[in-house]
Amino acid sequence: MESIRGRLTIWYATALILSIAVFAVVLYFARRSATYQDLDRRIQSEADLSAGILAESYRARGVIVEKDTAGRPVLTSEVAAVLEVVPDFLLVTSRDGSLLFGSPDARSLGFAQFEQVNALARQPPSGVPARSAAPGRYRISPNGPTLHYVIRQVPEAGGQIGAVLAGADTRSAELQINQLVTTIVIAFLVGIVPAVLVGRWIAGRALEPVDNMITEVREITDGRSLHRRLPVPMQQDELGRLAATLNQMMTRLERSFTALRRFTADASHELKTPLTVVRAGVERAITRPDLPPETLVPLEETLQEVNRMTELLEALLTLARADEGRADLHKESVDIREIIEEAGETGELLAEHAGVAIDIHLPAEPVVVPVDRSRIRQLALNLIENAVKYTPRGGQVSVELGSHDGRVVFSVADTGIGIAPGDLPHVFDRFWRADSARTRTSQRAGTGLGLAICKWIAEAHGGTIDVQSRPGRGTTFTVGLPRGER
Amino acid sequence: MKILVIEDDKTVGEYVRRGLDEAGYHVDLVGDGDEGLRRASGGHGSNYDIMVLDLRLPKLSGIDVLRTLRDRGVGLPVLVLTAQDSVDFKVQALRMGADDYVTKPFAFEELLARVEALGRRPKAIAPPTLKVNGLVLDTGSREVTRDGKRIELTPKEYAVLEYLMRHQGRVMSRTLITEYAWDYHFDPGTNIVDVVITRLRKKIDHAREPKLIHTVRGVGYVVRA
Repeated sequence: MESIRGRLTIWYATALILSIAVFAVVLYFARRSATYQDLDRRIQSEADLSAGILAESYRARGVIVEKDTAGRPVLTSEVAAVLEVVPDFLLVTSRDGSLLFGSPDARSLGFAQFEQVNALARQPPSGVPARSAAPGRYRISPNGPTLHYVIRQVPEAGGQIGAVLAGADTRSAELQINQLVTTIVIAFLVGIVPAVLVGRWIAGRALEPVDNMITEVREITDGRSLHRRLPVPMQQDELGRLAATLNQMMTRLERSFTALRRFTADASHELKTPLTVVRAGVERAITRPDLPPETLVPLEETLQEVNRMTELLEALLTLARADEGRADLHKESVDIREIIEEAGETGELLAEHAGVAIDIHLPAEPVVVPVDRSRIRQLALNLIENAVKYTPRGGQVSVELGSHDGRVVFSVADTGIGIAPGDLPHVFDRFWRADSARTRTSQRAGTGLGLAICKWIAEAHGGTIDVQSRPGRGTTFTVGLPRGER
Repeated sequence: MKILVIEDDKTVGEYVRRGLDEAGYHVDLVGDGDEGLRRASGGHGSNYDIMVLDLRLPKLSGIDVLRTLRDRGVGLPVLVLTAQDSVDFKVQALRMGADDYVTKPFAFEELLARVEALGRRPKAIAPPTLKVNGLVLDTGSREVTRDGKRIELTPKEYAVLEYLMRHQGRVMSRTLITEYAWDYHFDPGTNIVDVVITRLRKKIDHAREPKLIHTVRGVGYVVRA
């Protein structure tokens, strides 16, 4: 995003998301470990409880194992009834490994699954200390629940009881954790959007004075209202100081612009008057009949130089006025074809002299646009003249008038020497020349202001001017003008 | 025909005065606005036929002279000289009652032509047909013939030929020809006039005698029989 506001929002959102993510991950693992600890504590106490019951029953009755109807050993029904209330998985095995009791949860397992649990309980406890044994983890295959379990030996319950296995399905723990994850995700989604919007709003509010300042500075510096100043807020915060600094800068700008304007007006008068005098003198002399060539030649040369100076002076004045933002145009509705046609004839003459082919394409229908006739003619002549000047003998110049996207498009393409890519951004600069050595060897160097003036003319008409060029292949200048403001 | 020139710059004023004088006008030159206004609207003010007025004057500015003059109901045609070529400045001058303007530095010929137009002297109107030894140019229909045969010319060729024929027998410099045919300060770097002359020669002088278009090296061209 191109604005500070956008960047701030993105940074803020990223930081927010990151911190929430870190928080969520920590929370997740902490909750997970706590849940499993709870589970393990539960099965441990279940095992202890069962072992206690068995030991207590043995001490009270002496006999806690009997034979059932099939002749297999089972716990007596009194003891079994007490153990029945213990939740989760509970298995009691005899010393020789046969099952004496299974809790309802265990009994509800399928046969194959139950046998796996039973096999676990039958594992020889191999002398593990009774109390501190860490819970084991076992996954009943296939697709069965995962168990955490402890095996407790019960030596206090006489010789008949081997071990007690207490286990719990981890599904309940996982369910809790999954619920936590769901809650976090929902809270994240619900929370992040308003948080980012609020962040954006805050950034926007903080930068609003800057935006206002930009708008105002733009209005002030368009050249016509340099006397205006930015309102300086009471607080001397960063923005207040920025406004004050910009105001100082504008004061200085205004001063120098005023000086420039005065200089422009004075210079135009002061330079034009002596030029008028020189011109009038030379012209009167040169039009006198019967002068010998020795006198005529220097007079003609002087006249030519006077004209060049006049042209340069006028170009400078035009650009000075353009800088002030005064578009000095005299617009009228004109069929641009006529202007291009006239400029085209001049182009043909120049091209004939330079040995360059020129073709001019004009549309069949009139192209009537409100423009300053003499300025557009200057623009067309400048571009055509340039194209011919920088195209070697045998080359080709194409002048085309058309329309594109509701705009009038005028283009001048040549097959000339082209412009180096590094020079392209400077072609519309004042006094810029591609190659001073080359232009100096040609008859006329030109003022170096032609393209700068072309750019001003195009832009003063609300249009554009673009250049495309490849060294050695040629250059194309394209002018786009709006079809009319009304 | 009497012309009042109000111009504070002595040299410019003097050249204008002498130039108009040579063209057969009676010229009075004054150096400031007060004096000019008094002469133009005073007792013998009606004597003048045209006023040439510089806009930048000491004491009373040219615009003020113009306004006062028109306020007093003096309808004297006024040609304004101005160094400011911005459109709003010219428009302001015309709104204040100027009849025409010339921007400094000006070709004297342009000043003369505009003065003639304001003076509406019948004899100053250029003859509608220009003739040089069988070459005929009709300024009304823009038709050119030589020995009765019609010659087709492009607009620029016509303009150059007309200019040379209007001043037949006089050497016209390339710069003056360029200025006339391209009516603004167009400096094409190459001598575009030479190209036009080459074309004109092909159409007018080729295989015909006598040759009418002559070159004056380093200066320009002349049309003469």
